[in-house]
Amino acid sequence: MSVNKIPVGPFHPLLEEAEYFELKVDGETVVDIDLEIGWMHRGHEFISESKTFTQSIFLVERICGICSTSHPLALVHAVEDIDNIEIPLRARYIRTLIGELERIHSHLLWIGLAGHFIGYDTLWMWAWKYREPILQMFEMITGNRNHYGMMRVGGVARDVDPVIIPKLLEDLDIVDQKMVMIAGAAKDDPVLRSRLKNVGILTHQAAVDLCAVGPTARASGIAIDVRKDDPTDAYDLVEFNMIVQKNGDVYDKLVVRVLETLESTKIVRQCLEKLKVVKGPILNDVKEVSEGEGIGRYEAPRGEVFHYIRSDGTNRPIRHKVRAPSYVNIPTYVASCKGIPVADALITLAAVDPCYCCTERTIQLIDANRNPVAVDLLKLSREKTEQVRREIHD
Amino acid sequence: MQEIDQFKERMDGKISHLIDKKRRFYFNVESENLREVAEYLFKNLGCRLSTATAMEMMHGIEILYHFSLDRAGQYFCPRVVITDKEHPKVPSITSIIGGAVWIEREMFDLWGIEFDGHPRMEELLTLHHPQGLKQPMRFGRTE
Amino acid sequence: MGWYKRRLAKSLWVFHVSGSPCNNCDIEILDLLTPKYDLERFGIKLVGSIRHADVLLVTGVFNQKVAPKIRKIYEQAPKPIFVVGVGTCMSGACCFRDSYNIVEDRQAVIPVDLYIPGCPPKPEAMIAAVAKLLGVLNARN
Repeated sequence: MSVNKIPVGPFHPLLEEAEYFELKVDGETVVDIDLEIGWMHRGHEFISESKTFTQSIFLVERICGICSTSHPLALVHAVEDIDNIEIPLRARYIRTLIGELERIHSHLLWIGLAGHFIGYDTLWMWAWKYREPILQMFEMITGNRNHYGMMRVGGVARDVDPVIIPKLLEDLDIVDQKMVMIAGAAKDDPVLRSRLKNVGILTHQAAVDLCAVGPTARASGIAIDVRKDDPTDAYDLVEFNMIVQKNGDVYDKLVVRVLETLESTKIVRQCLEKLKVVKGPILNDVKEVSEGEGIGRYEAPRGEVFHYIRSDGTNRPIRHKVRAPSYVNIPTYVASCKGIPVADALITLAAVDPCYCCTERTIQLIDANRNPVAVDLLKLSREKTEQVRREIHD
Repeated sequence: MQEIDQFKERMDGKISHLIDKKRRFYFNVESENLREVAEYLFKNLGCRLSTATAMEMMHGIEILYHFSLDRAGQYFCPRVVITDKEHPKVPSITSIIGGAVWIEREMFDLWGIEFDGHPRMEELLTLHHPQGLKQPMRFGRTE
Repeated sequence: MGWYKRRLAKSLWVFHVSGSPCNNCDIEILDLLTPKYDLERFGIKLVGSIRHADVLLVTGVFNQKVAPKIRKIYEQAPKPIFVVGVGTCMSGACCFRDSYNIVEDRQAVIPVDLYIPGCPPKPEAMIAAVAKLLGVLNARN
């Protein structure tokens, strides 16, 4: 049998971002996949070398709009690592609060999109509807729905007003209830289960070899979480569980994310309670950064974000390296896509929650003439869901 | 740290310029010993390759690998210094760690460092770039 | 063309292109479709192909690799098409002005009719902009 190539992208209706895949298919089975990226390369690392550390925070925030507090957090951790700068307790709780709220909104976003890809638009609307309260909580705390600008070297920029804490807790309860509902609906649904179970398996061995991180690794049974392994901020002061599954299929990735969201609401609640009693400054004044190098990392919703700063004692870095989680997670496609039907490829590609903006910090748009192919991919995925649904109901 | 002591003993004579900071361990390694160090860190210690940073300094091009030992929250960072700026070349570690493929391709792309034994040595980000952008992160290559 | 524009002004079909953005504008555009903002009540719909679109939403600073592809999408669009640039990136390159890989003259790649500044613009701002566009289109008849 001859092997055919299906080009997908760079502009196609699957993901909001531009990326180009080449699926090599034998009949209906995917035999190989190739990616071309570079459509979003904006050269952050280069620009950062001409910015001061405080200016850099706003720059790295704009690497990715969804994890827009993970990058600044990793950056300030890196600068603090050079001089072992301590930060005030209240600031530690505020950092953790913002980080965890972001995880809830990011996971809800993914759950919605995953539903959309397999033709469950109800799940999409639900998930995004209950993501709104989180964005409003952000607006109350930081003044903006996205791109919060809260992190500073040595602390945080804004304090959480004690007046709004009861309201935040109230909103959180609503989100929590709805999350339990979505988790129940997603886990019990026979169609969803048969559509996602044993699809796109990433084995433990492949995940180790490809150095996967975050929910992608944890769904394959690798127990790594920066929040537990190398706790910074308030993560050693709050209680939460690391969610690990062992099959590595799309369903497990869904379960990991749903359960993680519930853990995150737990952390947020603990932080808010602490913020009622912990008083004090929120920013240590850092006058200068000495010569040396520092590594900062943070568990973003998609996995470990890594920043490396080399400083020569001035207020600008001479080298700033950014490694986003999707950068190591996207190559796992090659392992998880081989041997699965084309109709399942779509959800497998989406399952690692790829974020190309992060990957390239810098991604391709394919010939728009080829768009119909991509449309078919989405259609194929949805038709399969319909078929499964009919089979179950008959 | 027991792992660091073990590592120092095992690699005695092959590593130099040790800097042991709080949970960060930087050291220099010659390029011919790089594969051995990487294999020990990845296979024996069970480290994960986080990424690698390339940077151009006055004295040459440095590649700093970041191996994360997750169970201890520890970083092992072997540094390779290449003094030949015109034709930088180091052995590839992709045969040991599958995850290094993109990392090495990016360094080839932005710095022009060649990796000996890499299965697919081509640009990652600027592949098919219409203006033919080449090695933008090197000194004097960008305006 | 009078009858054509009158029809256009009733139900706008939107195609969305991202040219090296940070994703935030794109997510906020998708957010417009969900229950809280529900843009479909104005008859506005996101479509999967440029050939069905009346309005092209563009986000991001274009990098040099993506710019020719965006131009191609614009050329394939049925005319007349209205181009809306969402975000500060489109109107002023945001913090990427110093990058080696961006296109400096975005107007030359794609002629933009309407800018919505903000990083990212609030969904309310986007609704206001679309409502204004509808007003302008209706007035033109």
